[in-house]
Amino acid sequence: MQQPAPTQHSGLIGIQPVPSGAIEAARKIRREAGFPVGWLITPAALWLLIFLVVPLLSIITFSFWTSTGSGMTPDLTLQYYGDYFYNEGFFEAEHRNYLKPSVFIRTLGSTFYFTIVVMALCLLLGYPIAYFLAMQVQSFKWQLALFLVCMVPFWTSYLIRAVAWMPMLGRRGLLNKFLLSIDVIDKPVTFLLYSEFSYTMALVQLYVVLCVGPIFFSLAKIDNAILEAARDMGATPLQIFREIIGPLSLPGVAIGMIFIFVMIMGEFATAVVVYGGKTSTTGTVILNYYAIANYPFAAVNALMLMLSMMIGVVIILKLVDIRKEL
Amino acid sequence: MMAKVGAKSTHTKIKGLTRREFVGTVGTAGAVAAGAAVAGFPAIVQAADPVRSVGLGVSIINEIQGRASKDLGFPVRGQALGYGAMFGKMLNQNDQYEVAEGYYNDFDVMVPAKVWQPIDTKRIKEWDKVTDLAKTGKLTPESNEGQGDAPFRHLWVDASGNRVRGPSRYITALPGWHNADSLGYNPDETGRKIESWAELFSPDFKGKVALLNVPQIGVMDAAMGVEALGLMKFGDKGNMTKKEIDFLIDFLIKKKQEGHFRAFWETFGQSVNLMVSGEVVLESMWSPAVTAIKAEGVKCIYAFLKEGMRGWHGCLSISAKTTGKRLDQAYEYINWWLSGWPGAFVARQGYYMSVPENVKKHLEPAEWDYWYEGKPAAKELPDPFGTIIVPKGEIRDGGSYWNRFKNIAVWNSLMNENDYLVKRWTEFLNA
Repeated sequence: MQQPAPTQHSGLIGIQPVPSGAIEAARKIRREAGFPVGWLITPAALWLLIFLVVPLLSIITFSFWTSTGSGMTPDLTLQYYGDYFYNEGFFEAEHRNYLKPSVFIRTLGSTFYFTIVVMALCLLLGYPIAYFLAMQVQSFKWQLALFLVCMVPFWTSYLIRAVAWMPMLGRRGLLNKFLLSIDVIDKPVTFLLYSEFSYTMALVQLYVVLCVGPIFFSLAKIDNAILEAARDMGATPLQIFREIIGPLSLPGVAIGMIFIFVMIMGEFATAVVVYGGKTSTTGTVILNYYAIANYPFAAVNALMLMLSMMIGVVIILKLVDIRKEL
Repeated sequence: MMAKVGAKSTHTKIKGLTRREFVGTVGTAGAVAAGAAVAGFPAIVQAADPVRSVGLGVSIINEIQGRASKDLGFPVRGQALGYGAMFGKMLNQNDQYEVAEGYYNDFDVMVPAKVWQPIDTKRIKEWDKVTDLAKTGKLTPESNEGQGDAPFRHLWVDASGNRVRGPSRYITALPGWHNADSLGYNPDETGRKIESWAELFSPDFKGKVALLNVPQIGVMDAAMGVEALGLMKFGDKGNMTKKEIDFLIDFLIKKKQEGHFRAFWETFGQSVNLMVSGEVVLESMWSPAVTAIKAEGVKCIYAFLKEGMRGWHGCLSISAKTTGKRLDQAYEYINWWLSGWPGAFVARQGYYMSVPENVKKHLEPAEWDYWYEGKPAAKELPDPFGTIIVPKGEIRDGGSYWNRFKNIAVWNSLMNENDYLVKRWTEFLNA
């Protein structure tokens, strides 16, 4: 990717290049002031240690314990990892499970598939919104106002937003009534609700705003002067997008995609509401095994979900070097 | 079975403190400062020590625990949870409650775990009035006991909490509210009376059927259907073999791929919405959902099925950690459940109580006749909150309480192959 030439004006990255000596001096001053940064981060570090690291370590530990049907005992076993990956009859040619991945891997796979589809749709829909806000809307006041409009869905609870699709898409929903009234269809169509269509659409609607924000901010930071310079030098709009806007907005895209990725991988409620529970996500599997007190297996599922999330995030970060871009 | 009602936990607030309780509460603060005052007001100490009870939204309702607090003179705090959360709390945090308002179908887990203490029937004042449904499995001599986790199979223990064949002096839990679950349908849409579980898979209703998405229960409704179709005969629907589970799930997967199911519901509200919005015409359902649907002006009948119904039974247990004064209070609270008032309250939602004799005293004759005797409503009848839900002349399907419970085909159960069931159910949902 092409790097913009070093600039001598403010705006692109927010600061002008500073001679290195000055930086050293600034560092020294800060150190001498003895600002107790270490103490300031202690509460947060403790908080994370107690409420994140410790539970996480216990989940890892529990995944090796043995379920007793009503709880678990610390008898170490790999049985639940086996159950996760291996199906009865995997190596038997006659068996219906011959060379078939286990249902849990398939569940993780379908969870992943939906996540990717929704991410792509969110990007396709969210990017133009962010672009419009950042590039087309001139006044800052309007930018802010419209950005807040984008946030309106967050004013209601997540579940209300999901449930609201029912009167819209149902058999007797608004959309069906409208289509019937203009004679496009002669009986209500059912694919609108409790289908892959409604599931994907609801997820996009719920999460698209999550990527609008970061993309908007990275687009807003692009200095107009660069775009003007490009235009002056005869670049076509497509070239400008490909060479300047696109690359400079990548960090926002990456952050937005990470948000959406992590949220949807852990998703379980939307499938119940708009897909009628006709699919299961890794989230629902964890809940189901928790409900029958098989905590070790729920822990294995949770860890696999976390692992796949981490891999996903790493891939996104590999594709876009956020540090460099910022 | 009423699983997962009210996903959100709600703490029962005790509305309208009586003057005595108010004095008690305020007095407690004073008592700390002046110890001498305590002697004069023995009730004060009680008021500070609430009985904490956990369960589902079926039995934990503000009005019920509020009334108990009023009647008993000490606060009863209910916490209504979703099914999974309730199960987890009962099992893992028995220091967080005194009374567990659970269900006999979880007892294969709860009883061996010894999280509860045996209840001494000598301390249950009206134990004699509790019907034989939970004691012997036969409400009437000609009743069918039913397969699966019937209450009488989980009721009796010895003084140290080990299972025994009854009757004995000690029990696991005091029998409470119960019902026989069935299919609900909209007669305008089905165009015919539904009398068999086989209708669950009738091609006539393709794409308009919903099933309960709780594997342990959904699978039984499906098994009733498959058996009624004559496709398979189960040895014990309450404890299926891997082979039986495989056959059933493969059948369900085939049906799902044909587009037979409109949705799988998890909460009470969803089952109501599905029928009210016209998305489904036939679904597995709980009794109060039928009244809720009717309240929305949509016709709905709770079918009486010839193969028999699926029963479930709620009950009250006491935590193993409860001792001393709190134990006495816990006994008072579970005794209170037999007083008739709580039974009358849940009767208006369509549930039955283990002491019909006492419930009768708290229902109007017209209510008793409609809810328990299965006679036409002599007048308009209300739900527990006062909304009229039964028009004059309406009749409850399936006749009287004794008639409904004569033929329980299977009770909600926890199978030995539960892990395998959940795994195959996941496969079904993903198909």
